[in-house]
Amino acid sequence: MIDPTLVLQALVSGILAAGLYALVSVGLALAIGVIGIVNFAHGEFFMVGAFFAYQLFVSFGIDPIVSLFLVAPALALIGAAIYASTIRFVLKAPELNQMLLTFGLGIILQNLALLVWGGDPRTIAGIPYRSVGFELGPISVGLVPLASFLISLALVLGLYWMLARTATGRAMRAVAQNRVGAALVGLEVNRVYLVAFSLSALLAGIGGVMIAVIQSPTPTIGLAFTLKAFAIVVVSGLGNIRGVLFASLFVAIAESMVATLVPNGDTLRNAVFFAIIFVVLVWRSRRIA
Amino acid sequence: MQRTVRSLFTMLALLALGAAAAQGVTIGVLTPLTGGAAGTGQAQRAGFELALDEINAAGGVLGAPLSIIIEDTQANAAVGLAAFEKLMTEDGVEFIAGGYSSGVTLALIESFRTFQPIVMWIGGAVSGIGIDGFDGIEELIGQEDWFFHVHPWDYHNVEAATGFVADTGSSSVALLHEDSAFGGPGSAGAQALLEGAGLTVPLREAFTSTLLGGTGDFRAAIAKAAATDADLLYWIGYDSDVVPLTSQIRELNFRPQYIFGAPPGWPTEFAAAPEAQCVTGLIGFLPNLPTPEAQAFTTAYTAKFGSEPDNYFSALAYANLWAYADAINAAGTTDQAAVIAELEAGTFRSPIGDWSFQPSELGKHQGFTTDLWLVFQYQDGVREIVWPVEKATAPLVSCR
Amino acid sequence: MTRAASGRAFPWDAVGLIVLIAAAAVAPDVLRALFGRASVSYLSIVTNALSLAILALSWDMLARTGQLSLAHAAFYGAGAYTTALMLRHLELPMWLGIPAGGVVAVLFALLLGSMTLRLRAIYFAIATLAFAEVLKSIAHHAPTAFAGGNAGMNVAPLFRPAFVAGEMERWEVAFLRNEAYFYVYAGLLALTVLVSMALQRSRLRHAFTAIRTNEDVAGVMGVRPARMKLLAFMLSAAGVGMLGAVEAHRIGSVLPDQSFAVATTVLALVTPIFGGLYTTLGPIVGALGLSSVQELLRRVFDDGYLIGYGVVLVMTILFMPRGVVGSIGYAWRKRGSGPSRAAPSAAPGSDAAGAPTRAASDAPADDPRAEAGGDA
Repeated sequence: MIDPTLVLQALVSGILAAGLYALVSVGLALAIGVIGIVNFAHGEFFMVGAFFAYQLFVSFGIDPIVSLFLVAPALALIGAAIYASTIRFVLKAPELNQMLLTFGLGIILQNLALLVWGGDPRTIAGIPYRSVGFELGPISVGLVPLASFLISLALVLGLYWMLARTATGRAMRAVAQNRVGAALVGLEVNRVYLVAFSLSALLAGIGGVMIAVIQSPTPTIGLAFTLKAFAIVVVSGLGNIRGVLFASLFVAIAESMVATLVPNGDTLRNAVFFAIIFVVLVWRSRRIA
Repeated sequence: MQRTVRSLFTMLALLALGAAAAQGVTIGVLTPLTGGAAGTGQAQRAGFELALDEINAAGGVLGAPLSIIIEDTQANAAVGLAAFEKLMTEDGVEFIAGGYSSGVTLALIESFRTFQPIVMWIGGAVSGIGIDGFDGIEELIGQEDWFFHVHPWDYHNVEAATGFVADTGSSSVALLHEDSAFGGPGSAGAQALLEGAGLTVPLREAFTSTLLGGTGDFRAAIAKAAATDADLLYWIGYDSDVVPLTSQIRELNFRPQYIFGAPPGWPTEFAAAPEAQCVTGLIGFLPNLPTPEAQAFTTAYTAKFGSEPDNYFSALAYANLWAYADAINAAGTTDQAAVIAELEAGTFRSPIGDWSFQPSELGKHQGFTTDLWLVFQYQDGVREIVWPVEKATAPLVSCR
Repeated sequence: MTRAASGRAFPWDAVGLIVLIAAAAVAPDVLRALFGRASVSYLSIVTNALSLAILALSWDMLARTGQLSLAHAAFYGAGAYTTALMLRHLELPMWLGIPAGGVVAVLFALLLGSMTLRLRAIYFAIATLAFAEVLKSIAHHAPTAFAGGNAGMNVAPLFRPAFVAGEMERWEVAFLRNEAYFYVYAGLLALTVLVSMALQRSRLRHAFTAIRTNEDVAGVMGVRPARMKLLAFMLSAAGVGMLGAVEAHRIGSVLPDQSFAVATTVLALVTPIFGGLYTTLGPIVGALGLSSVQELLRRVFDDGYLIGYGVVLVMTILFMPRGVVGSIGYAWRKRGSGPSRAAPSAAPGSDAAGAPTRAASDAPADDPRAEAGGDA
């Protein structure tokens, strides 16, 4: 008989783990989903954020909670610079060009990081809250997963609200729907893209700070999360920001269940994740007819 | 007349010297400088460069400065193959050093056999023993005259690890291992050895390492381990798994008596983290090893690179190059048979102590074995050596 | 078939293929004559470039229908595992593993293609990625005795020339082996090129382009998109499957993370974009170009040479948005702008048997990038 406590714990862990997935995906949802820039370097923005958090801690002793407010704008600036110098020129080009460009940018960032910080995993040591867990009866709730869940919830809802209710957000949606039309009605298209892309980088940076606490930043830390982030963004439907949260919840809970209930289940996480993605995409495509 | 003769002599002498210098020995090095294993590759390079400086300061090899050509394998089989061929053909080296990934090593075996240089390899621990239908490195080239294996084989690693586990007095061990050619066979071997020594292994559970596409949430596996209430948690993974694993163990309130890990390396600065307290690990070399060779190496390394030799592959790389230098100098020639004879007979230096090549299970020339391994424990931010007892700098402390 | 009444223009692409085959036939010996022992290494490098060319060209063939596949690692791995499994469990000649690898890859393509028919653009891409990841996981979890599981399987080499001491030097053995593999790869590339050329010269080219431009309209015009897309998928997978099988023998082992590496997929897609999409020459130039660039950078720079590689990619796509070949071809065509100049549009970049009447209508029909508001 399956222990109900185990199932409950798996559920709770899954819900919390969804927070990290959503955190990494929300920035990408803005980039691909809203303004249509396929950013293969998203994982690298995330990685840079993680290393910035690490460096701020090591050089100035700044706790990640605080450095969040430094890293986020820094990443926004980097995103803006990258946009202005390169991405701006491939907006009208086919998507494939954007892929190659951002892929190249990703390689540059990754190897710059390798040059500066080396290949060894770094650690933000000396923070007392990394391993804190709360016992709610037989269930354990980690502080850091809880925090990342709440932060990602705030970011997703905040982004949704921004897109729905603010002028900037509406401008972004307009530009995404019809670039020429948006220009015709007087929107500064280039500026909208700039803001959106910078925001996307900023969101990635926030995710990076979280991951710097949870794991050890390495130059290649972005890849595993990027693939899954792409999948989550796409499966929730491009432009559906709140969908990112639901998609993250669904896959994270499924992963957690399998990891807990199946022997050697953790090794099946990726299989479960991508199987769900595949089935959902294919099934939905059939229903459109 | 006399002056002309003298100047002629000088000219000839200078020419001869110049010729000798031009004929300096070159050793080809293969190491993963970029890619997922870049940390280790760079550590290896540091060890090689340090040894090179010292060797040349001591007079070089065969009277001329030694040179090395380092090629990046990217821990990728195809790239490694091309790199090796370049060393053998474009650069024309006769001696090969370096090595890390077993996968790349296996891919190189055909090529090794074709060219048959002397290969003194500090990587590739997959012997193949114990895996049905799979030929590992030792099984394939262990018997070759020109192949010298420096790094311990997987069964040595497992033997050392299980030796430590048995010595802790634990009676039950929960085994968590990453799910690739590194952790899979190793954990199976460990389980067999542990059970053979009379311990129980209530759980052997696999996880996906962060290095190979996992997202670092090991809570499910840890929860299963916690449910067994084992005395000791033994995990096999990579250095990027250390932080998530140890912090999640704490978070889930799993408190075995001992936490023992066997990754190929440990993240820098982890010692200062609260999660590190009482964590034990298997390692080949530590900067605070209290022997004179180790201290000399640590001092020289820190002086040259500005940081301590954290990754034991630096020590192995250092030993690798020095062994070549000493053997070739002893042979007095680069003739392969002569150098092989010296390698077989000689005793070489390393930061870990003197070592030599002896036969192993299926191989002719094995450098370090079970004796290489130390177990350290993080105690108040310092890595104290706790096993084997003869080399210990502090006693082992229980986590409970 | 809308060929100009003035007759077919010079078949540059066929000439190109013949030159390619001739060059490949003599390349090893030329290299050996020029560089002696070092030619072993150069041959290896060239072979790696050919491998990338096969991968890139195959991917491009699928991209011509607008399907951007992120599953090519799956076909590659399927080919690799097929030959490894055959070697382990069946008593058949080793080389049969190569066509078998192709067949299995094609079957997977058929499976994947039929399930994803209704998916477009990035939805399609992610679905294919998911498929590849699941396949990798299956290989990972396969029973060890059957398919190696996480330890993988050894794969015997295809060629093992004998070394006769005294009559030859050791490097000559390596040369013979590399030469043999080179010919296999060259043959595989030639095959792929032939298929690509056949596609470009036939009705299928227009069918593919139509589907890529607007699938629904194409369907209305009688193109039968489903069939075309599946065909493209199968043709694309065949080459990659065979490539995977050959590489498994050359590398000597199959491992889940190595044989199904995401990096393979990424290279498959990056190379044709760099070289020039939807052409036969583009992916090949891309492969040769990127391989040379990377090799050059490796030798010139010590640390951080990959940064240079990234810079090259970024610069190329910024200044040559049609890829290397595409941009050169476009510039060539624009020299003699307008239909009044009956310049042979047999540009290096185009496979069009360039008849004069095509010159004017060339850009919009072939080049879906010339959408409203985009570049002309």
